[in-house]
Amino acid sequence: MSFESFLFVLTGGVVLGALYALMAAGLAVVWTTLGIFNFSHGAFVALGAYIGWQVGNVDGFALGHVLGLSATVLGMFALGILFQQMFIRPFERKENIVAATVITTLAGATVLQNGMLLIWGPRSKQISGIGEGSLNIGPLAFSWNEVALIVLVAFILGAVGWFLSRTRTGRSMRAVSQNRQAAELMGLNVPLLYALAFGLSAAMAGVAGYFVGSVRFINPTMGADPLMKALIVVIFGGIARFTSPIYAALIVGLVESFTTFYLGLYWAPAVLFAMMMIVLTIKPAGLFGTHQRTL
Amino acid sequence: MRYDPPFHRTNGLIPAVLFVLVLAVVPFVFDGSYIRHLIILSLVFAIVAASWDLSFGFGGLLNFAHVALFAVGIYTYGILAKTYGVNPWLAILLAGPAAMVFASIMVLPVLRLDGMYVILVTIAFSQIIYQGVISQSDITGGTSGMVTLPMLQIDGYRFVKDGKIGYYYTALALMVVCVGSIYLITRSALGRAIIALRDNKYYAMSRGVSEWRTRLATLALSAFFAGIAGGFYGSYVRVASPDIFGIGSLTLVLSILLVGGLATLWGPVIAAFVIILLSESLGWMGAWRDIIIALMIVAVMVFYPGGLWGVIQELRETFATLRAALMVRMRRRFERAKREGMLGLREEMVETKHGLIAVADTGASHTHTGPPILLLHGNSACKEAFQNQFAHFRDRHRVIAFDLPGHGASDNGDPEETYNVIAYADIAEEILTQKGITNPIVLGWSLGGYNALELTARNPQAYAGVVTTGTAPLNMAPDDFAKGHDAKSHLILAGKQYLTGAEATTFASHATVPKSEKSAFLHRNLRRTDGRARFYMITKLTVVDWPRHMRMLREGQIPVAVMNGHDDPFLNHDYIAGLQYGMIWKGRTTDIPNGKHAPFFNEPEAFNAALEAFIDWAAEARAEGD
Amino acid sequence: MSAPLLEVRGLSGGYDPIQIFSQIDLTLSAGESIGFFGPNGHGKSTLMKTISGVLAPWTGEIVLEGQRLNRAGERGSRRWRNFNYDVVTRRRMDPKKVARAGLIHVPEGSLLFPEMTVAETMDVAPVAAAGRGKSADRLAQVHDLFPRLRERLDSKIRYLSGGERQMVAIACGLLGDPKLMILDEPTLGLSPKLRIELCQAIASIKAAGVPLILIDQDVNFLTELIDRLYLFDHGRISGVLEKADIPSHEKLMAMLFGEPAA
Repeated sequence: MSFESFLFVLTGGVVLGALYALMAAGLAVVWTTLGIFNFSHGAFVALGAYIGWQVGNVDGFALGHVLGLSATVLGMFALGILFQQMFIRPFERKENIVAATVITTLAGATVLQNGMLLIWGPRSKQISGIGEGSLNIGPLAFSWNEVALIVLVAFILGAVGWFLSRTRTGRSMRAVSQNRQAAELMGLNVPLLYALAFGLSAAMAGVAGYFVGSVRFINPTMGADPLMKALIVVIFGGIARFTSPIYAALIVGLVESFTTFYLGLYWAPAVLFAMMMIVLTIKPAGLFGTHQRTL
Repeated sequence: MRYDPPFHRTNGLIPAVLFVLVLAVVPFVFDGSYIRHLIILSLVFAIVAASWDLSFGFGGLLNFAHVALFAVGIYTYGILAKTYGVNPWLAILLAGPAAMVFASIMVLPVLRLDGMYVILVTIAFSQIIYQGVISQSDITGGTSGMVTLPMLQIDGYRFVKDGKIGYYYTALALMVVCVGSIYLITRSALGRAIIALRDNKYYAMSRGVSEWRTRLATLALSAFFAGIAGGFYGSYVRVASPDIFGIGSLTLVLSILLVGGLATLWGPVIAAFVIILLSESLGWMGAWRDIIIALMIVAVMVFYPGGLWGVIQELRETFATLRAALMVRMRRRFERAKREGMLGLREEMVETKHGLIAVADTGASHTHTGPPILLLHGNSACKEAFQNQFAHFRDRHRVIAFDLPGHGASDNGDPEETYNVIAYADIAEEILTQKGITNPIVLGWSLGGYNALELTARNPQAYAGVVTTGTAPLNMAPDDFAKGHDAKSHLILAGKQYLTGAEATTFASHATVPKSEKSAFLHRNLRRTDGRARFYMITKLTVVDWPRHMRMLREGQIPVAVMNGHDDPFLNHDYIAGLQYGMIWKGRTTDIPNGKHAPFFNEPEAFNAALEAFIDWAAEARAEGD
Repeated sequence: MSAPLLEVRGLSGGYDPIQIFSQIDLTLSAGESIGFFGPNGHGKSTLMKTISGVLAPWTGEIVLEGQRLNRAGERGSRRWRNFNYDVVTRRRMDPKKVARAGLIHVPEGSLLFPEMTVAETMDVAPVAAAGRGKSADRLAQVHDLFPRLRERLDSKIRYLSGGERQMVAIACGLLGDPKLMILDEPTLGLSPKLRIELCQAIASIKAAGVPLILIDQDVNFLTELIDRLYLFDHGRISGVLEKADIPSHEKLMAMLFGEPAA
């Protein structure tokens, strides 16, 4: 294996890792705050990509990347809150919330996917690259698209991390995730914080979708595969801290990239899932985690 | 204790048999093979959902690999029957164990996890199976799957002939056997262990339930039935396709399970038919169909969290309420003469703040030399239970009794307000005031005993004495309730809202005597009682001022007699005898031989003699005290 | 006479379907502190949780300074002839609204937010008082009250001892600028030294003019701080004692549970 192909695989792994990290962090925000697993996260990814494509791309309103990405963030934030109010809010405080929201988020995903099919039709779309051309460092060439993607994801994750640990709203969100009753008794607005958390998660999924749309094709089920990977990431890394899924995402991205290169496309997922089963059997709380449910 | 009668003693047998009979007759009515096809699919998915209920609902394991295990069944059938030429029947049977093997591997990580992590690890596990199927295209056909699998046949008769009639009855038989087996499992010792582990893991483990053995059994058994269903499904659709791993079939089976109702077993079976027929009938709508069905599922989850089974229970409750309301009218209209004949008295309806109450009162008379006697009947009984006391005491005493609300000929009450010990005592007070009765002896039977204690404890000096029979006085609920009664008895039925026919007979037999001509009216009356009267009374036991009762007894504020049947099946006699009584007749509790739970009814002579002696003693004791 | 600070009328509640307490009436005039005493498991904490809105009340109303805190939703049933069907129209109260109105409840054994530091927790808490200002003063006051916490500002809550957690919980309550504080067994399971420290802090909170509803198992501690003692058992107030009439701990136990059997 030449150094160049190694570097190629490495960059591919980091790009994948960045996308998975964005998705996994979004999943973890909902999981830790609301205590549920959101199966419609994959549909959010697709929806975010469609919104971005519609607003930003030349075949849509052709308003460019900045507006496309902003529309994705704002649109997904609003849709996420709407979704939470419709499919999750009714089950808050119910005993069977975990089981009930599995089916309602699955149902929500069905609604979203079929809705996308009705609106945008079955033909796949693609968002043009965020950056064009390539960045040359000595003999090495990186595509600008990938570089921009990695930088943006790092920036977004950093911003979300800052929000959660430094601002009062972010801290309140963490407080709610750790002890709902105590938060209520202190006068925190729990329903609002839940809605915000879900909106934030949906916006992160939407951004991930926008980026995925720039490297792969957009269709209503495009989120299913990254969702599965993000799921591995969440299990793999544990969710003790906001940062642990990020490390795990990089590991998963790199492992996927390298196994695909060496063992072939079919084997890569099997290796990942097997790795995850082993990790869970040996260390149930994940590589970096304690079992605690918290942000 | 969970009261858990066998199936044939619940009201479930007849509907279940009817359901199967209707399905058995359907092919003779509709000969179109399409409707049969839908029913076959419904039957298969009923098995899948019901077996999932074993691990998901009863076991509380959020096991999302179930559909993948179903797929393992399909592929096992395909590989065995097609690639290796195994007899299809045998292949279906082997599909079960194959799924079990996969489930047993999955137990390893599941054992160490809880709640949401189980969801993730089981989804990952089904993804591994999926990836395995995709990558091993030599064996499984890869992404294109396996086609033209062998079909079922006997002696050359192909089951698909005659409009799939063979498949239809095979599926029906399979469903009956599988769901029946799952039902038996949930009622067995293993089933109780599974439920115990779900409800309180650590407590169950400390009582000797092995966690890993039970979870292994739960997952393996639930996989077994899913595998069998998969094998049959493979032989029916004759295709093994990796599409079955998709989110679509997961959503389908999960919605059957949850719309039906978790841990109900019959719910998913019904929901399988509802959802499959519904989704087929909306087939012409294209993408809108999935949206509509998804929204309907969410609506069911929001408005009926218990699923279709919850809807059925609500209908049942409405029906029972309606029935209780009708029965009051019937009793008042047609059976008044019979009731009056039993007591030899006119029945009057007295208006109280808790509704119309049926009262039997001998009225005041100059022949009365002793104090009036107020008789309070027990849970699910009626005032006519005291017919022997009326006959015996009416010459010397004014005797009065009334039906509690929700019982006998009285109104059904407002459950929240009326069905509790405090309100019952309020009613007694109100009736005594309206009738102008002062200083009575109060006799309470069972629940009536609590009412009697509550009534007299409010103002002990206003009553000549109190007699309890079949009652264990409490200092604290619910702790002492458990101490004062025999936990193994059928007392648990006393708080059950709906009693089946068999349960009603059991309870009435223990509370009084087995059904005979003499006691038939008590048995009938149990069926008339508003079920909520039982249920709400139990939920309100916590807010009664029990220490006041106990203080009254302990400090001897009132002459007391405790007359229980010495063979009362409900009571803990040692507890009752061990309490402190300040002013008790004979200085101890009195046992009536062979009295059972209703000595005044079963042994009237002995009881009446004792009561008479107590009344005389009570007057002396009061006089001495003053 | 001015409007009472807190008025509870005909309050019933519990954990559906089991009723825990019924028909509670309670009036607190301005500046008054009261105590609750009674056996464990008889509904004191459930009553407090209902007053602060964590649990939904079944019937009755809760009024703080003339402002009704719970909505009119009541559990009830409808009757038509003998067809009695019950309709549960129980509406949750909003604990946020209760806290922001100035009724602060520090529940029994609160774990707070295990993964957050003391400073972060205190930052989150005064959201309630944001409208009323003075939060800097409050913060200084809290630090004076609990000097122990000043040293532990950057520790995570999960590393604190039970007493320190209780202090943080009370401190957060104080930051909310309370008009009335409910302290549910604040000294439960503490070491003697911390207990004394906490009792002194509670006394100085009282001295600073915050009325208290105090639940505790130690009558002598209660007697120092309160104006009236409510005896609570079997889901009802079984007696009210004015401060002067409160007997010693032993006598009170005998009153409640009877003389121990010889």
